[in-house]
Amino acid sequence: MLVDPGQTTRTQLPTPVGITKGPGESIHEYTFVSRDDFQILKNGEYVYYELDSPRAASHNGSTPARRRVLGRIIKRVPLRLYPDTFLGEPEIAPDQVAAMVGYHSRTNELFELHVAIMGYYDPATESFINPWIPPQSGKQIFLADDAMLTEVLSRKKHHEPGSATIGSLLTREPNAVPIVLSVKDVVSTHMAIIASTGAGKSYLASVFIEELMQPHNKACVLIIDPHGEYSTLDQIANEPSFSESGNFGPGYRPTVHVYKHDEIKVRLSTLQMGDMRALLPEMTEKQQYLLNRALQKLRSRKGDTPWSVADLKAAIKGSARQKEDEESEGADDSSTVHALTWRIEQRFEQSMTFDDSLHLDLREIFKPGQCTVLQLNEIDERDQQVIVATLLRRLYHARMDTERGKVHSGESYLPYPVFVLIEEAHHFAPGGAEVVSTSILKQVLAEGRKFGIGVGIISQRPGKLDADVLSQCQTQCIMRIVNEIDQKSVAAAIEGVGRDLLHNLPALSKGQVIVAGSAVNTPVICRVRQRITPHGGESKDAPEMWQQYFSNENQARLRREEAPLTNNQGFQFFR
Amino acid sequence: MVIGKIVKSDSHINYVCQIFGPREVDIVPRPADYAFGRFVRVAIRAGEYDESMPFKQLLGSSSEPVTYAVGVIYDTILQNPAYGTLGPRLSNEAQLELFSPDYISEKAVLIYVIILGTMEEQQNADGSVTVLSASHGIPPLSLELDSEIETMNDEEVRAFHFFRDPDRPDQPEPYLQMGYLPHIIAQRSNLLPMVVLRIIDQLERLFPHNLALLSIVKRNFAWRLKVETTG
Repeated sequence: MLVDPGQTTRTQLPTPVGITKGPGESIHEYTFVSRDDFQILKNGEYVYYELDSPRAASHNGSTPARRRVLGRIIKRVPLRLYPDTFLGEPEIAPDQVAAMVGYHSRTNELFELHVAIMGYYDPATESFINPWIPPQSGKQIFLADDAMLTEVLSRKKHHEPGSATIGSLLTREPNAVPIVLSVKDVVSTHMAIIASTGAGKSYLASVFIEELMQPHNKACVLIIDPHGEYSTLDQIANEPSFSESGNFGPGYRPTVHVYKHDEIKVRLSTLQMGDMRALLPEMTEKQQYLLNRALQKLRSRKGDTPWSVADLKAAIKGSARQKEDEESEGADDSSTVHALTWRIEQRFEQSMTFDDSLHLDLREIFKPGQCTVLQLNEIDERDQQVIVATLLRRLYHARMDTERGKVHSGESYLPYPVFVLIEEAHHFAPGGAEVVSTSILKQVLAEGRKFGIGVGIISQRPGKLDADVLSQCQTQCIMRIVNEIDQKSVAAAIEGVGRDLLHNLPALSKGQVIVAGSAVNTPVICRVRQRITPHGGESKDAPEMWQQYFSNENQARLRREEAPLTNNQGFQFFR
Repeated sequence: MVIGKIVKSDSHINYVCQIFGPREVDIVPRPADYAFGRFVRVAIRAGEYDESMPFKQLLGSSSEPVTYAVGVIYDTILQNPAYGTLGPRLSNEAQLELFSPDYISEKAVLIYVIILGTMEEQQNADGSVTVLSASHGIPPLSLELDSEIETMNDEEVRAFHFFRDPDRPDQPEPYLQMGYLPHIIAQRSNLLPMVVLRIIDQLERLFPHNLALLSIVKRNFAWRLKVETTG
């Protein structure tokens, strides 16, 4: 009898899809055999067998409790294939040949399916417990139904406070089994989104941000956006689905602040010696020594009050004079001072980014229910690193001081956790090279959990990313990766249980993601849901734009612009 | 055309038949009638023996369906009991007929037939024949000694291979079948694979629309028999 198990499970008793054959290749695998008439046992699909729990039975004396030991199909081996010779004529189907020699081919297919045992779900610990024994030969295998998977795969329920529904299980119908991340775990143990370009990294990140800004999360989010891809998130503020009417007062409505590159300022007095070294590369030892002395002096004299470029220059000159006093035998420092002050003038006086007094106010950019986007495009990469480093440092100290009760008001008082999403993270913590933002990023990743700073890093080149940074992210969202080096660095960073899923990496399509780590109960392959706000990170359609260049309108406009009169040559002639 | 009778069997599906010699039948079978790979059939008697049955059939007055076991000739033996009797004879060849009339009958042509399936026929009132059904595989009933064996014409061979499978409701149209191939292959005789090639040659002639389908089986057998065995 042919009964589609996918259709019946919800209404009647579940129909078995196969029978256990025996243990698999490794100790936590088993194999079962199935005809799979309906082609439902895909790679990555979830199946279970029932295990009697003798302990539970002896306790209450009733019928033994049955546990469903869930597993994931990792390999599908056909047991019966047509002989090669049957496939020799392209226009003749092999089942026609089989029918000719008297074989009814309706049910000829038979598969051996390899299953990795995940274990039975224990709601108390919210985890899967491995039974440490493969099923007996002959045990019936069932396809896990949507309701069961919804219950056990995700740690949170859809739309529950602290949940982020990023999509649905790939092997099932869209939206049948929602994949819900636990925001608490993401924020406390960090997240990494890794994918090749064009696989949908920023799309997934935007979906996650949308979830964070929903009324059930009301999160405090900062996005470091080096490419200006996240400006469309400002639609969140207008979208009614993000709002919530409150019993008291105006209710909840998320806000989105997009800071353009000219609005992003770094106050000079927040720079440290390391930042200076990055901003003024290849300083001589003497220059470094002088600058360091000057910075120490300024800090001791001014404390937390801002100081200007002029103050710094004066301090350098001051340090140099003092030095002459201390070591009268030494050479004259005036050339060094001159060179250093010249470099500082060049670097800071004309800079759009560095300012004597202005900078991003932490209380402005970090607010619950607010998503702040820092658009760093058009800013030099080295300046970007300094911006991120100073901001993270200030954030880290503010959160640390607030948590430890050192501050109770003012700019450094941040009494709520924050989530920082860093796009193109390999710029800020490249592997093999130390840049100014590397150490603070590592520090935040390692200790941010204590102070409520969650970090999400996004990168298209995990191979170029610092290995420590990647391994600190306990939730991994991995999308299509083709490059072998990148695949290996992901495999090295991801937790062991999902490693078999990584073989699927090159086969993933756009918008499909492997989610593993602490925010889900078990690694899953997920289809990212549709964004509510429009997407801003799409590739440019080059042929379309070239065509537009030659459109009639554009050509007319170009002719107008290039006409001789526009250069006012006629006017000059008259003059 | 009747060509001989069953004289022995080696198994449920392997029968030895003796070809009728001169004076045994009106039309003596020619070697082409019992050629290697030729389809033959033998009527199966299912019920009580009715002596008038052959008569009725001969006269075309029987409307009872007749079930035949269908087989193919896969070996020929020329039997000569006198072989090895090397002593001198008193009579020469021409005198033998006169002095030892029983001698000739001891020379015989034996053919080996393997049974491939059955077919059921009914004779119509106008003398034409309707094939009611055909099936491939081993017939449950055994054949009887002395049953007459007759050759099959092209039309009958075509009917035996082209029919609707009652076990497959999803396939109501008749189609080309060679369901006996698996059990031919399972036999031990060295000549049987060659018979398959001969059968396919005949079917290619009878079913020109199925050349591609037949070529798959043919190539497979030809490769195994011709290339693998000599390579």
